[in-house]
Amino acid sequence: MGCDIITISADTKFVHLAWRKNEKELAAVRYPMASDPTGKVGRMFGVYDDNTGLNLRGTFVINPEGKLLNAEVNFYNLGRNIDELMRKFKANLYMTKKTNEACPSKWKDEGDKTLVNPGAKMVGKVHEALNP
Amino acid sequence: MSEPASGLKLGQNVPDFELETYDPVKDDFGKFRLQDQIAGKRWTVLFFYPADFTFV
Repeated sequence: MGCDIITISADTKFVHLAWRKNEKELAAVRYPMASDPTGKVGRMFGVYDDNTGLNLRGTFVINPEGKLLNAEVNFYNLGRNIDELMRKFKANLYMTKKTNEACPSKWKDEGDKTLVNPGAKMVGKVHEALNP
Repeated sequence: MSEPASGLKLGQNVPDFELETYDPVKDDFGKFRLQDQIAGKRWTVLFFYPADFTFV
């Protein structure tokens, strides 16, 4: 789908290798596992916690021009929903092609209802736009 | 917890960065550079997590 997933933690690349080879749950993992031991990149994205030396559960979507389009950060004890990440990614791809459309909260995939040319005429009329 | 320092906002261009990686496909170490993604016209999803050998 023209997208590369990179995982990042403060562990070294050596620990990444050891974990990938030991943990059977990771047997299918094929994405590069990046090492940010100084927290340099984690700080840039606001997910590095100086008190623990760990990163919060942050997910960031960057488009092919290098622009940051989505950010989601969960605290340590809440896992992420991959379906929601996929939804956001598909919506980004769709809106790159259809620049006059916006994807509402219930949008899941191409073909679902979008808001076309959202503007002054749609103010107070979103219900009518979604339910013609 | 100290305040996470975020300089990045949505819609901003992300400054280039480089990180060392372990690549399971090649079973070798490598590098990730954001500039390479832009040069190759690729989308990127960065997935931060607390630590290896924990629940992700």
